[in-house]
Amino acid sequence: MNRPLAKAALILIGMYIVLVYVLPLFTAPLPASLIYLYLALTLSAVLIYYTISGTTLEEFMGPIVRFLSGVDQVGPAKTARLLVLIVFPLLVGWQTYTRLAPSDLPPPENRTIHPAPPGEFVGLSNPFPKTPENIMMGKGLYAAYCSPCHGANYDGKGPAAPGFNPPPANFRDPGTIAQLQESYLFWRIKKGGVGLPVEGMPWKSAMPRWEVELPDEFIWKIIMGEYDGAGQSPRTWEEEE
Amino acid sequence: MGVQHSCNACILVAVFVLSVSIPLAMASDPPDESQQGSVAVRLYLTEGPLPVDDPMSAVWDTVPASTFDMAPQVHWQDRIQEVTVKSVTVRGLHNQQELAILLEYQDPTQDPADAAALEFMVGDKKAHFAHAQEMLQVEGGPVNIWYWKQSNGKAIDMWAKGFGTLRPQAQQDVKAVGMWQDGTWRVVFSRALTTGDSEDVQIEPGKWTSIAFAIWDGKIVDGAIKEKGSQKAVTSWWYFRAEPPPDNSIYGYVVLGLILAAAFEFALIRKLQKGRHS
Repeated sequence: MNRPLAKAALILIGMYIVLVYVLPLFTAPLPASLIYLYLALTLSAVLIYYTISGTTLEEFMGPIVRFLSGVDQVGPAKTARLLVLIVFPLLVGWQTYTRLAPSDLPPPENRTIHPAPPGEFVGLSNPFPKTPENIMMGKGLYAAYCSPCHGANYDGKGPAAPGFNPPPANFRDPGTIAQLQESYLFWRIKKGGVGLPVEGMPWKSAMPRWEVELPDEFIWKIIMGEYDGAGQSPRTWEEEE
Repeated sequence: MGVQHSCNACILVAVFVLSVSIPLAMASDPPDESQQGSVAVRLYLTEGPLPVDDPMSAVWDTVPASTFDMAPQVHWQDRIQEVTVKSVTVRGLHNQQELAILLEYQDPTQDPADAAALEFMVGDKKAHFAHAQEMLQVEGGPVNIWYWKQSNGKAIDMWAKGFGTLRPQAQQDVKAVGMWQDGTWRVVFSRALTTGDSEDVQIEPGKWTSIAFAIWDGKIVDGAIKEKGSQKAVTSWWYFRAEPPPDNSIYGYVVLGLILAAAFEFALIRKLQKGRHS
């Protein structure tokens, strides 16, 4: 008689263990809101499954009804019922408190790390050939203009880096310039933090608007030097197909 | 039969506790201030007068502090590659009328040109931390800057919206007192929470806004001041909020929740018992 309930409990517990402990072994931990959503979906599926016919409904609900009604209960079952009846209002009270209690935490930031560039910066290709001389010049310009924040080792750990929020990009991280085309870097370097759209939270980026200080030629060569120095390659159209 | 009932009861309790407590425990992702360091300045609510004239007041030692790394100003010309002050510790208090913010930072020498500033966004529009310079895709707002310099012996209440627009305001509302001791500056800025001046940041307890810091080491090196103008130590924006007064009405809602839940249980059990008897 109690098999449906045991199965439901096992499914819920199993799903919780998978979401919270197993999945993070393979990927980034899921946000709490998503875990909650998946558990709610699992619970809904279990309820739908067991209430789809009269027989399964009785199998599933029967123990619950008998337990809650308390008729003919003795011993541990009686104690457990009393416990549930006391704990439920307390949990409701606790939830009311946690929802209404003033939070001391700042609002969450939903910053888009790589927002879409304006149309005129899409698909541009570097007009300068990747010769050793151009790469060398790019690295020299990088050392002069970029390394104070992005670091002499292209790792985002320059002497000026610790004060900024968000921190300067680490070009050695495969999640930064390796994911981007040269035209994207050209946009970011040229327009800087003030050129970001609203989803990029431009009011916090300290990236200078280099177009007011550097000619395009310097920017394209800095891009070359950046990729070479960081040991990365730009993403190309061919790879996306 | 008794064993089966007990088993049912245990499973029911487990399902019940799991289904109620998991969502409660996971209602929100906690912030990661422990790993990231400070992300916010909080003005703690207190009663009575604030230590606005005494940066060394023992009261400040009771206030929780936030510490922010500082960087050389490399965002625009004229840049600087290395600065004296590497971090600033910030404490804040308010009494619902007035606020006081204490900056504390290491500076080995006391110099007339030593200076510090706070910056706030004014109004609801976001502003760039670099003097609210123009943004290309977003309409930004102005900033309010509270500037203190040792040789002035006072604060200047300033306004800016873009490079070259920084100017003192007609209405001066900010006070500052600085004291240097054993290689450490402690500077208290104070002001009313609200001023009625549209060029000022208006502090509404409970509402998050943004704050940034700048510090200049005015030491004379080779006949020139080491850090002045745009050559300074800076931070970008961090969060800022004055603690709201306690709201006791939530306890009323908690009691209401308890009563409603108990009433629901009572009605449900009566219904179930009637169903079984009929």
